[in-house]
Amino acid sequence: MRYCLQFLIFFSLLHFGPSPVWADPLASRFVLPQLKYSGGSFKPLNGALEGLLMQIARRTSIEIRREPIELELTDPSLHRYPFLYMGGDSKFEPLSEEEIKALRHFLNYGGFLLIDDNSREKKSEFDVSVRRMAERLFPQTPIKPLARDHSIYRSFYLINRVTGRTAHKPFLEEISVKGRTVLVYSSNDLGGAWARNKLGGWNYDMIAGGEVERQESIRLGINIAMYALTLDYKKDMVHLPIILERLRRYRLQ
Amino acid sequence: MIAEWFDLDPEEFNQIDILWSGIDSPFLWLFLALTVPLSLWFFWTSLRRISSRPRKTFIIMLRIFAFALLAAILFQPQLEFKNNQTLKNHIAILLDDSKSMSVKSFPEEISRTELVKKWLERNADTLESWTRDYKVEYFFASDALNPASKKQLPDQLHARKPHTDFEKVFSKLQKRYEGKSLQGTVLVSDGADRSQGNGELTSGFLESLSAMEGPVHTVLAGERDGFKDLSIQHIAVARFGFLNQPSRVMATLSAVNMGNKNISLTLKQEGKILASKLIQLKEGQTQYQVELEFIPAVLGKKNYLLTLPIFSGEAIAENNQKNFQVKSVRDRIRILHINGRPSWDSRFLREALASNPKTDLLSFFILRTLSDDVSASTSELSLIPFPSNLLFTDYLDSFDLVIFQNFKYEPFIDKRYLSNISKYVEKGGAFLMIGGELSFQMGDYNRSPIEEILPVKMAPVAKGYLSDEYKISLAEKYKSHPALALENDPEKNKALWQEMSSLNGINTGLTAKPTAQVLAEYQIPGTKESLPLLTVWNKGKGRTIALATDSSWNFNFIKVGEGGSGRHYYKFWNQLISWAIGEPETQTLRVATDKEQYHENEEVLLKLQVLKDDYNPSSNEKIHFDITPPQGEKIKIDQKSGENGELDLHYQPKETGYYSVRIKREKEEGEQVIETGFVVSSDDSEFSQAQADPELMKKIADTTGGQFLNIGSQDRASLFNFPNPKKFAHINNKTISLWNNWWLYGLLTGLLLLDWIIRRKSGLS
Repeated sequence: MRYCLQFLIFFSLLHFGPSPVWADPLASRFVLPQLKYSGGSFKPLNGALEGLLMQIARRTSIEIRREPIELELTDPSLHRYPFLYMGGDSKFEPLSEEEIKALRHFLNYGGFLLIDDNSREKKSEFDVSVRRMAERLFPQTPIKPLARDHSIYRSFYLINRVTGRTAHKPFLEEISVKGRTVLVYSSNDLGGAWARNKLGGWNYDMIAGGEVERQESIRLGINIAMYALTLDYKKDMVHLPIILERLRRYRLQ
Repeated sequence: MIAEWFDLDPEEFNQIDILWSGIDSPFLWLFLALTVPLSLWFFWTSLRRISSRPRKTFIIMLRIFAFALLAAILFQPQLEFKNNQTLKNHIAILLDDSKSMSVKSFPEEISRTELVKKWLERNADTLESWTRDYKVEYFFASDALNPASKKQLPDQLHARKPHTDFEKVFSKLQKRYEGKSLQGTVLVSDGADRSQGNGELTSGFLESLSAMEGPVHTVLAGERDGFKDLSIQHIAVARFGFLNQPSRVMATLSAVNMGNKNISLTLKQEGKILASKLIQLKEGQTQYQVELEFIPAVLGKKNYLLTLPIFSGEAIAENNQKNFQVKSVRDRIRILHINGRPSWDSRFLREALASNPKTDLLSFFILRTLSDDVSASTSELSLIPFPSNLLFTDYLDSFDLVIFQNFKYEPFIDKRYLSNISKYVEKGGAFLMIGGELSFQMGDYNRSPIEEILPVKMAPVAKGYLSDEYKISLAEKYKSHPALALENDPEKNKALWQEMSSLNGINTGLTAKPTAQVLAEYQIPGTKESLPLLTVWNKGKGRTIALATDSSWNFNFIKVGEGGSGRHYYKFWNQLISWAIGEPETQTLRVATDKEQYHENEEVLLKLQVLKDDYNPSSNEKIHFDITPPQGEKIKIDQKSGENGELDLHYQPKETGYYSVRIKREKEEGEQVIETGFVVSSDDSEFSQAQADPELMKKIADTTGGQFLNIGSQDRASLFNFPNPKKFAHINNKTISLWNNWWLYGLLTGLLLLDWIIRRKSGLS
């Protein structure tokens, strides 16, 4: 009886005590907004970002916000989302001067942009548009292949191979500002490999390879997100000996 | 006899002269030569009508006498009463009182000054005999010349002056005896004047000596041979060192006649030996360079003492040790930054910390939890085990600041290591907890050692994380707090904080502990409840901070998006970290001296800034100073701070060496104590080459025709001769006018009146 009373008191306290606020602290969570732009298709794939976010939530300690967000570069809330995903499969209109300025400002001061060619073509019109945009964005800093020892390849998984739904280029490309990579460009349709439907199935079949390549694409996506959140953390001296030893063994396998 | 006529004491004067002031005037002589004969002829012809020849002669005589008186008046005669004496010539005796005179002879161990005193004693009769014919004056000579009284000479003669410079001394001597007859000088010294180079006298000194009227006799105290000394001649060390980083001191040692032996050079701080090195002394080698390495273990200015052993028979014991001060500062701020999960807040903070060149950052991100399914083997992951054992046992004390950012300690840190963090803070470490869903109660820190050290109390039941968007509200009371100082000007600072971006998210269920300072809070709209956002306090010797949000990155990236600048985010974190690690500018008692080092007899100024806990000036507060001199007893001084919280303490040190200063104030929660110190150094450059120099002393004597004596052998002062030419002086003069007085004018008037009466009676007009 006594225990029953104690249980009731505890239960009542839970309900009638000072009301706790369990609101979702969205500000600290990882969000993956899809960048909206004019011309072409800014969102040719369904479920790509949701698929990646789900994998991030399942595999890492990063807390995510699942709701899809679409954002224009002129949106006043742009800086609330330091990570942007820009996908596309076709030619798009050149960004306005205002948009270029906003994106440059965004990237210079801490933002990160992942561009993903979802066209499945080796030389796509999207690729032409992206390179034209990159040239306007940072005229003095051309887009270049990401070095093999870049933190993106070791920020969570140890990655030796770059792939996607396609495998046009065995490397990622980047633009760095003051030693920090601010823009990563994948020509291999990473989004196509990540995309899942609500039932849990994959939305798109892999064109280059199979499930192994899909897993590698997911790992690369997670690593890119992890890099955006931790920067060169994995290049800290405390990590290096272990990582280098594992890389050596991994390559031997 | 004549003196008495003029009411003067005849004994005071031994000579009388008449002075004619107008006698040299040719115009007067011309005037008299023309007017006197002409007038006399005129008078004589005007007396024609007087028949009586005697009467005529009498009148003429009267006229001649009157003319004589008039001429006398025109020549202005004066009587000069004189007392002429024979002058005594002077002899100056110069006694060296420079520091090198404290050097002791070997093996007798008698200082040169003592030798001089004994020489004066032995030759007292001779010196006294000189006073019969000469005026003998004594001086202390170094690079200055100071008169000395003969009676107090033995007590006054101390080897204290830092330099010897004979050229200056003789130049001053000449000025002093200008117009006087200095017929001889006796210089008693060791000849250790390093300004006279390589056995040659400088041209200036030679000029001074050649201008001397009499000879300069020299008396040497001390010997060149038998000088035995071990000394630290010079120390080269940087005034700043880095905490826990090796610093070096380079010492130049001198060993004269020390033979072959091994000695140790020891470096101490507050009596504790920090480093020591064995040096092999070799016969024939006098200079040694020795480098010692030490590690400053405490922040701030500290005194270090370098010592050599003192051997029997050493000429100078004082130069076997030297004090120096090194201010140790942090080369880097070592920060352990543990993140519970990757987030934008941790990403921007890591970037701020890592980009600060003064920071050494060790970051750990918890990238996966036990429940996460990585779908890969460990070898495919870059993750490393969290080295909690190493971090929270062996290496914890090496960090200046530990940051837990949105970090739940379990299962990564064993609960017992939380006590280590608590002890680390009590001993002077700094701890900062940044909010989020894994912080405070939600990180299970309530009722843990971490709650004890944090400035906030956690409600027993986790209340969660409030996601409201709100503007930071600073407590007016703490507007001068250094942790909030984005700008020096309070008004500009306040305006800056008002312009900062909104925050979103705050940990609830926290209340500030009684002595904690809530620098910023969030007033929940529509309620009276406010939540502490930024709370700080001093815990033990350390400091801790609770920042109950994980949205401070809004001050950076979002502020940039709003058209502002992110630099105040960096400034905010720099200030917060500076306060946490107790940088000097964040102390409420700050002390500085007006000089790095003081010389003997120099006044020391300690400037103190007294602030309240809220960093506003504390006026009229009593501060206790305990000054401990190198040898003496502790001196207690109490003084009150001024209106602006400033306090200047002037102190006159009485001896050389290191003075430690303990400054204390009484506070409600106990005493607040800071320590500092200062060095009063003596100029010991005299000791660098303190051997006696007989060659120099001989040369001085030879140049002036004087004689050279060496105390201890044939050192009788009676051997000295001085010329004694006769010199006179008018000691006393008195001048009496013979013309400018009433009786002369009266006599002249009388004569003219008598002349007139006789003329009238003789029938003349």
